[in-house]
Amino acid sequence: MAGKAFRSGRWLAGARLEIAVFLAPALVLFIGFTAYPVARTFYNSLFEIRPNGGESFVGLRNFSEVLLSDNTFRRAVFNTLLWSALEPFIDVGLGLLLALALYAKVPFARFFRIVWFTPVLIATVVVAILWSWIYNFDWGALNLLLRALGLESWTRAWLGDPETALPALIIADSWKWVGFNMVVCLAALHSLPTEVLEAAELDDCGWWAKLVHIVVPMLRTTLLNLLVLAFISRMKVFDLVWITTRGGPLWSTETASTYIYKRAFEWRSFDLGYPSAIAVIWFLVVIAAVIGLTALLRQRERLEF
Amino acid sequence: MARNWLGRAALTSALVLYTVYAAGPFVWVASMSLKTTPEIMAAPYGLPRTLHWEKYIEAWTNSNYGVYFWNSVIVCAAAVVIVTIVGAMAAHALARYRFRGRRFIGAAIFSTIIFPPQITIIALFQIMVEYNLYDSLTGLTLVYVAVQLPLTVYLLEAFFARIPEVLYEAARIDGYGGLEVFWKITLPVGFPAIATTIILNFIYLWNDFLYAVVLISDDQKRTLPLGIQKFMGDQMEDIGMIATAMMIAVIPVVVFYAFFSERLIQGMTAGAVK
Repeated sequence: MAGKAFRSGRWLAGARLEIAVFLAPALVLFIGFTAYPVARTFYNSLFEIRPNGGESFVGLRNFSEVLLSDNTFRRAVFNTLLWSALEPFIDVGLGLLLALALYAKVPFARFFRIVWFTPVLIATVVVAILWSWIYNFDWGALNLLLRALGLESWTRAWLGDPETALPALIIADSWKWVGFNMVVCLAALHSLPTEVLEAAELDDCGWWAKLVHIVVPMLRTTLLNLLVLAFISRMKVFDLVWITTRGGPLWSTETASTYIYKRAFEWRSFDLGYPSAIAVIWFLVVIAAVIGLTALLRQRERLEF
Repeated sequence: MARNWLGRAALTSALVLYTVYAAGPFVWVASMSLKTTPEIMAAPYGLPRTLHWEKYIEAWTNSNYGVYFWNSVIVCAAAVVIVTIVGAMAAHALARYRFRGRRFIGAAIFSTIIFPPQITIIALFQIMVEYNLYDSLTGLTLVYVAVQLPLTVYLLEAFFARIPEVLYEAARIDGYGGLEVFWKITLPVGFPAIATTIILNFIYLWNDFLYAVVLISDDQKRTLPLGIQKFMGDQMEDIGMIATAMMIAVIPVVVFYAFFSERLIQGMTAGAVK
């Protein structure tokens, strides 16, 4: 009965109408709220757009201004790239160590895993307020801890100091995301053949040697995927900065996203063309980073866990 | 032997330290949410002496918190339901039918998963204003559906494509039509993947701030994350009430987590592509 044609593929023989019915709602939404806005942002970037509806074509002027003379943009790019380059190593490194502890079956592993993962689920708005309190000068936990340790001179308003605001936000953000990397690493560890790790156990090499020579090479694909993923996500960072510092003090925490938002919706100048040009540039940077990193890692299979 | 024991002790203390670091802030907010602001100022890290549960009622009634909460519930529930149905239909079409343009449509939709939101947000604002959807929960819901759609289709398509062909052959022999096949085979068999995307989408949308802050300005239309931010602006000094407000936003997710922790962790990791 079932001929070879059926066996050969997973394909349903379907009328065009059926396909259209299944696809139409998704395509309408996709075109209306994703494809069209993307195209329109590109279009906007060539105009100066005033809120009263005045649009005037300015060609590539927005782009030359952003790239050649916008110091805040440069600062925002620098901060965002620094953030994207640093945090992935904290997140993935700590995540891997925690996953190894759980994999080694420490007592209460289940409890630990649930607790360590919880920050991932907390809304960034809440994380932001919470950490702005932890960094508070007078009664924040960090300064209280330093005072208790007799390090009074180290205390400061962590988010109010241009020197420490960015690192402080990076730590707050990694507090949220380490648990995520931990569960992905743990899943990857569980999928490894147990013999290899047992063999290492028998050889009695130190845990550090085991980590560097066995675990990291075996988890290479997962770890690289996580690093790329963390890198790309940090390039979009917005909420945490917006709620805590709004990019301040003195642009020390300005990111590409907060700057675009400011130029589009906060500044009284309210020209939508200029921020669109920034968005286009940043979009191209992100896409180039994704393509570059993926090519670099030559990771062909889909990211799936 | 002694070395081993020492190593154990070091490991245990490191784990306990990390647990304090990971859970401490959360426990702290929870305890503050039950203390009044004067109590907090007197002893920020003391445990609450008397549990001021009435603060939750106050947050709910004296501020607009009830409104924010229900706005969030309505928008998230509607968006998750729509994105699940629309996404499952599209994924079914892409996974089980062969037609011209299939690869192109898939590639177009999936590639937008990595797009930074900034590339659409300004134009979305303009579009919503033009179509009278700015400052409306309907508009926000539609945008949420569109935002989560690519990832949903991506995850479901991968799963649906792996459903054994035998099931579809049997359906064909039974004379099922196209919609019946979707309804009676793809949906029930694909349920684990669908549940995963539901959880993932719910968490993302419940916590969203960026789209809401751009597309909503009326106080009566604010969702929870916007509400908390406003609450913080209004009651700068009233830390105790802000903590209560934060807990109201976190509790639904934590309850969800308590019941579905395994599936939820799975869902979040499946969304790793984002």
